[in-house]
Amino acid sequence: MKQMGFYFDQTRCTGCFTCSVACKDWNNLPIGVNWRKIKIIENGIFPKLFLAYLSSTCNHCTNPPCLKACPVEAITKRASDGVVIVNSNKCIGKEDCGAKCLKVCPWDILQFGNGENPKMEKCNFCFERLDQGKQPICVEACPMYALDSGDLEELNKKYGNVVEAEGFKYSKDIKPCVIFKPKLKKLQL
Amino acid sequence: METDNTEAPQLRACLRGRAYRQRVYSDDRLRYPLRRVGKRGEGIYERISWDEAYDEVVSKITEIKQNYGNSAILFVAGGGNQGMLHGAVPHALMLHQIGGYTRMWGAPSYEGALFASMATYGTMMTGNNREDLFNSKFIIMWGWNPANTVWDPGTSLWLAKAQEKGIKIVAIDPMFTDSAAILADEWIPIRPGTDTAMLLAMTNVIITETLYDKDFVERFTVGFDIYKKYVLGEEDGQPKTPEWAEKITKVPAEKISILAREYATKKPAALIAGWGPARTMFGEQYSRAANVLCAITGNIGINGGYASGFMRAYYSRERIITGGKKKVGPIKSDDDKPKKLRLQDNPVDYNAKPREDSLYKLRGGTNPANTRIHYNDYYNAILKGRKGGYPADIKMAYIAGTNRLNQFSNVNKGIKALKTLDFIVVFEQLMTPTAQLADIVLPVNTFMERNDIAVPWLGAPYYIYLNKAIDSLYESKSDLEICRELSKRLGIKESILYLPEDQILQLLSAPRKEIKNYKKFKKDGYFKVEIEEPFVAFKEQINDPENNPFPTLSGKIEIYCEYIAEKNNPLMPPIPKYLSHDEHYDSLKAKQYPLQLITPHNKRRTHSTLENIPWLKEVDDHVVWINTVDALKRNIKNGQLVDVFNDRGRIRIPAKVTERLIPGVVCVYQGAWYNPNKEGIDLGGCANVLTNDIYSPGGAVPLNSSLVEIELSPNNQLEEN
Repeated sequence: MKQMGFYFDQTRCTGCFTCSVACKDWNNLPIGVNWRKIKIIENGIFPKLFLAYLSSTCNHCTNPPCLKACPVEAITKRASDGVVIVNSNKCIGKEDCGAKCLKVCPWDILQFGNGENPKMEKCNFCFERLDQGKQPICVEACPMYALDSGDLEELNKKYGNVVEAEGFKYSKDIKPCVIFKPKLKKLQL
Repeated sequence: METDNTEAPQLRACLRGRAYRQRVYSDDRLRYPLRRVGKRGEGIYERISWDEAYDEVVSKITEIKQNYGNSAILFVAGGGNQGMLHGAVPHALMLHQIGGYTRMWGAPSYEGALFASMATYGTMMTGNNREDLFNSKFIIMWGWNPANTVWDPGTSLWLAKAQEKGIKIVAIDPMFTDSAAILADEWIPIRPGTDTAMLLAMTNVIITETLYDKDFVERFTVGFDIYKKYVLGEEDGQPKTPEWAEKITKVPAEKISILAREYATKKPAALIAGWGPARTMFGEQYSRAANVLCAITGNIGINGGYASGFMRAYYSRERIITGGKKKVGPIKSDDDKPKKLRLQDNPVDYNAKPREDSLYKLRGGTNPANTRIHYNDYYNAILKGRKGGYPADIKMAYIAGTNRLNQFSNVNKGIKALKTLDFIVVFEQLMTPTAQLADIVLPVNTFMERNDIAVPWLGAPYYIYLNKAIDSLYESKSDLEICRELSKRLGIKESILYLPEDQILQLLSAPRKEIKNYKKFKKDGYFKVEIEEPFVAFKEQINDPENNPFPTLSGKIEIYCEYIAEKNNPLMPPIPKYLSHDEHYDSLKAKQYPLQLITPHNKRRTHSTLENIPWLKEVDDHVVWINTVDALKRNIKNGQLVDVFNDRGRIRIPAKVTERLIPGVVCVYQGAWYNPNKEGIDLGGCANVLTNDIYSPGGAVPLNSSLVEIELSPNNQLEEN
């Protein structure tokens, strides 16, 4: 079975936020809702420092805990490519539900909009673009060519199978569909 | 928004381009012409018709021209809304036809680098193509942060790829910038404004250890021996050793020596000296010292090397435009001057004598007309006029495409000066702090609402056709439409502006001979110039010096510049020198204001443009960066509201307590909008409230040479972080 996944080259990411803003533009997202997030990892004491960025979004996990946690089956996984989709119409809302999906996501990636009892929303892998044979907008936007996406097996062949990076911890049970070229934690002297 | 569909690497937009839709459809867009009804700066305006607005602007221009002459009109033009046709261009063309205006010289971005480039090589066309970085064995990014400032699309990608190929990259910067952290293998923090001292010390090591390229120095440079005497201390008794520089720069002497040896011996090596360190008092000395270092190590005119300087020529645009016929070399007589006043000439400048302190005998560079006022000196010019020794008595400001008040030094003095004028007209998209001082504000559309051509910044090998996507929103109009109407009412009979937009664009782009098929270019929306091999500045000068002298007065790279020596100004020495000044870290003023302020570019703005875009605002909070040590001394915690101040003003923004900045320095990113409270404290955090409206002898604008102090704001609130 095909399973879509992301690749992220952390060594190249300059934290420019283009992927995140391109996602907001494509999906018309308001302030406070970021389907793709940039985590800043800063370590060290002047002048021995380390800085890395982690660009992350929904990992369209092999065993998505959010799917199981949802009381109304608003979250589904496409059989054709493993993309995890949320049906916002079905979602009963953050307050009414207690955000059960968000609580089980180890990467804190699910988003709730602003306003009263907002519905869950998240990266849908730009599935309309995928269906047209295009890459998700974040991949196409990255000025550093640090993002890629595709069938996870193909990605593994191309980039290897490193599953952790600075700021990202793997889960064997959930099996997030993302691989990395991690930035090694070497303090600059 | 999607990217171009060419082969990789594509011309990929940065976050600013991706968010541009929010600017086009911003609720803050100016919708119709406005006339001031309150006091200047009160921000009270009434809606008027375009007819009323045109008539008022025309009558004021005519009145001021008649009563005081054209020089009373100050044309303040910026690149804020610029294409080949729109932005300041049609305004300038129109004003030329009615006798011209007073204009400025001294570009804040790069004047120091430009002066040094002209003085050393006689041209601004220096540097190599990005592709050529792969030929380098060693790369130094000096005060250069392309990860945030872009420096043409693809620059950071080339650097990352070079690093992946195992080419070592070192970054020198007061901040642990994104470039220093991600694109470099090593970061060397340096005290701002002391870069020249470090470069001199590196030169000292290279000379004393005989690591310089003797053959290159003999064949291609002049003045090495004079410089050597200064560097070794034979001129002033102070050898410019790494130990000497350590005290000034805070860079360990050993580190300076290692870097010097590495740069001199790992040939070819690219020293890319950014413009930021040149935006200081005596910034041109830094840039000169960097250029000279490139020369004495023989890293000029070769693949993998890099002639630091203005760094414009990594795609030789001028060469292609003119088919190689462009005049090069120094100006020998008046022959070079156009016989007839051309459309692009400002009549007020046309017959003016050159400024004595300018490098007017060198072709290119800054307009040397003595009718011009330095960019960072025009508030004084307005306040003092001819009596104060300035070339004009300014009565009116015609401001197009720039948030001038916000983006130039000493905002509080600026307000005082601009308030004295008889008339101010501003052409804008938003109600900027500058527009709030205007008598008439006219709404200009965005590039999405008109056709235009984007010329690559600094001349990378591509063009973009900006096809009109939507009709003008509200009552806004293009600069061309506005200037057509103004021209008619000013009685201009014939004008290029009366031609259809598309025809003007064809005319303007015609001299760029590489655009062979205008129609296809317009249809595709972009045109990438194919380059067979990376461009290397000064390759001809090095390979065939007999037929290709450097375009300086001596025909060689000028380590010692006789032309500068003639000016006889100890603060503009003929060899690069390290000089201190009234607002340096070791000045008397530092006792009162002990922190050095730097004001770099933030990734989420382009200068002050795009400041109000929600998607971009979300990316990074506007804060003052302060090192943990300095914050601790002042009892400042991360996220607390602080006042940054000096004699010129006070801003109030949250503090970001960080390790990523050298102690003794604070950083306020330039471009945030000036927003004073009743006491005149700027709650917007505009860096130029704190910077000084002076300029360096070579024209550098000292935006990174201010001293400040920081204290907790009254009733400061600790914000969650």
